[in-house]
Amino acid sequence: MEAVAEPTEGMRENILELRDISFSYSMRGGEKLRVFDNLSLSVSYAEFLGIAGPSGCGKSTLLRIMAGLLKPDNGGVLFRGKPLKEPTPRISMMFQSPALFPWYTVLENVMLALIHEKELTRREKEERVRVFLDIVGLMGFEAAYPAELSGGMRQRVALARALVAQPDLLLMDEPFSNLDPLTAISLRREIETLWMNQSLPPSSVVMVSHDIEELVELSDTIIVLTKRPAKIAGIVKIDMERPRSRRSREFYEYVDKVYTLLG
Amino acid sequence: MAQEFLEILLALGFSWARMTIALLLSILFSLCVGILAGVNRVAEKIIIPILDVLQSIPILSFFPLALYIFIGIHPIIGPEAAAIFLIFTSQAWNIAFGVYEAVKLIPTNILESVRSLGLGALRRIRNLYIPAAFPRIAANIPPSWANGLYFLVACEIITIGEAEWRLFGIGTVSTGFMLAGKIPQFFISLAAVMIAVVLSNIFLFIPLMRLSERYKFEEYAAEAPRVWIERVTKSISGVIGKLLADRKIPSYASASQIISRFSSMVRKNKILASAFVVMAVAALSIYAISSINVLYYLEVVASGLGRFGLVDPLVMIGFSLSRVASAVLIGLTWVIPVSILIYERRRLEKILVPLFQVLASLPATLLMPLIVALVLEAKLSLETGAVIMVLLGTQWYLFFFISGAMRGIPREEEELCRLLKIRGLKKFRHLYFPRIFPSLIMGCLVAVGGGWNTLVIAERVVLDDFIWEVENPGIGKALSGAVMRGDVGILTAATIWMAGFIVILNRFLWRRLYQKATRLLV
Repeated sequence: MEAVAEPTEGMRENILELRDISFSYSMRGGEKLRVFDNLSLSVSYAEFLGIAGPSGCGKSTLLRIMAGLLKPDNGGVLFRGKPLKEPTPRISMMFQSPALFPWYTVLENVMLALIHEKELTRREKEERVRVFLDIVGLMGFEAAYPAELSGGMRQRVALARALVAQPDLLLMDEPFSNLDPLTAISLRREIETLWMNQSLPPSSVVMVSHDIEELVELSDTIIVLTKRPAKIAGIVKIDMERPRSRRSREFYEYVDKVYTLLG
Repeated sequence: MAQEFLEILLALGFSWARMTIALLLSILFSLCVGILAGVNRVAEKIIIPILDVLQSIPILSFFPLALYIFIGIHPIIGPEAAAIFLIFTSQAWNIAFGVYEAVKLIPTNILESVRSLGLGALRRIRNLYIPAAFPRIAANIPPSWANGLYFLVACEIITIGEAEWRLFGIGTVSTGFMLAGKIPQFFISLAAVMIAVVLSNIFLFIPLMRLSERYKFEEYAAEAPRVWIERVTKSISGVIGKLLADRKIPSYASASQIISRFSSMVRKNKILASAFVVMAVAALSIYAISSINVLYYLEVVASGLGRFGLVDPLVMIGFSLSRVASAVLIGLTWVIPVSILIYERRRLEKILVPLFQVLASLPATLLMPLIVALVLEAKLSLETGAVIMVLLGTQWYLFFFISGAMRGIPREEEELCRLLKIRGLKKFRHLYFPRIFPSLIMGCLVAVGGGWNTLVIAERVVLDDFIWEVENPGIGKALSGAVMRGDVGILTAATIWMAGFIVILNRFLWRRLYQKATRLLV
């Protein structure tokens, strides 16, 4: 599992590849803010990839490029070996906020992700939504509106919506940062279980977070980015049994390693 | 030409001076009334419905009042005061509502801390209510100014029956050019108005708004539009801010001293002060009753209502409503797609929004001679002209309300639609429409309200001796005709019908729709 750079023979095993991508924001007054210069990285099948970096280094931008929401100025994005030109249902994304539509019920919100599944009848769609609501532990809340749910439950709805179209790759942009610690713990467990379950989506996960312990707890590999323009400061592979205990000495050694790379 | 150019500049100066005085009076009035309504429950119950009604009274209806109160004072000062009063009636109400809402929305923790400090009423006004209302006042100045400008043409010529007073100002000068066939001069005067509005915005209104931002209780997440205007004004407001911060403004300090001295004087002599107030009120009401002759006026109004009947006004309102409604619908058909386009192509925002701001600053009433000429040229009926007039007067409200709501759409919701490939009409149905719905209602409320006012001018176009009416009945036509004949009875009756209908429409249609719309978005 090579999380880095140079596309080699092993590229078949990569679900997503970024090749030499550059990206910059244009500021007021014509200035350019360079976020990435020739950055390359890849995500393998069945991998849980964590991305860490100093705040403002472009982690969220990176995730949006992976999703096809932003186009890099230069370089290419390959999804399952083919160039990614626009967002696809095979890649789903969870945001820092749940981004639920307040005017729709839980069921309707999740069902939006199936809007293009033309061959399914409405009943079949509802059936599938119910399955996924059950998976995230929200059975019985179909008719509730987002305003009636707690923050953790809303993020669960967002998770169900991200999974219901059965994507191969799930991108998560600080999905736990707005939750209280207890809720975050249980949601982290659920995402780990889902990812480990072979029969359920997604195959691979990319998670951006500023919480290093969270990254060490969940990731196979952590890519640490530098300040803008971001380069890869280092890669930490985590070889620990799951579920990982945050109290072990090994865990702390990994955390230290990531902090050292962050400088 | 040079002489006419000078004339335009002078006229602009006169009009701007009138509008400034009226605006200052509006702010003073709004502070008194708005704070009182925001603080006192009883006052609120009285003031807010009155403001609601006043807001829906067309400016022409204030003409007789202006006549009776001001014209008699002095042959020169009287008409000036009357014009300023009329401009005031087009500027004051929304500022007053703004102050009231700002005072109502002061967070409880701040109210509690002020109470625990034991500040007296006057100190609370000075240190809490006025600063808290400042952002809303600053935000309401540009629309009030635009509104005042809209009715400037009407306010600079006061005609009731046989009597007419014509004041020197940009409204009369510009209309005069058009009627005299001096087309280039007419367009120069329009351009001069636009430039003057843009300069007022850059050097005064926008710096004031920037300055007021620090008085807000919370940071608003919605990003303000980044347009070239802001770059200029930021530096200007920086300079003004520094001036204000470095030096204590002497007038403010001494004024507040006088206020506090006065307040302590009042407190020491409570009985004397209250006796003085009672006497003043009594004297004023005796004067009012004796000079206006309330009983006689009531008789006139009663006979006016009787002559106006029950069916005619309803028919008139029906026709007028259809004119306003079609103008608002036409407005929406361009405003909604353009707002979406601007939202999706951020680059357009930098070009179109400042352009629209400048275009919106040009009052449709100044364009009226041009519209009449075009409608005559194309041999269309004045019905079309009236709808165009209402459209020009209302479309910017719709645009700024709706594009403002679009700007507030959370970025993640839009990204989600792109991830799920929800596009086109589906995107409109699932994302845009629900998000803009409350502002759509609010925009329609304001646009329809403004539309009624415009209608009075649009249904019966009066340009000097040139008069042209819509073919079908209309409440605005009736109003304007009554002013022309000096028929106070019919004028009051038409005003009561129209204002009553608007208030009912606001209370029972728009407010309910708005509440329903916002309930879903919490």
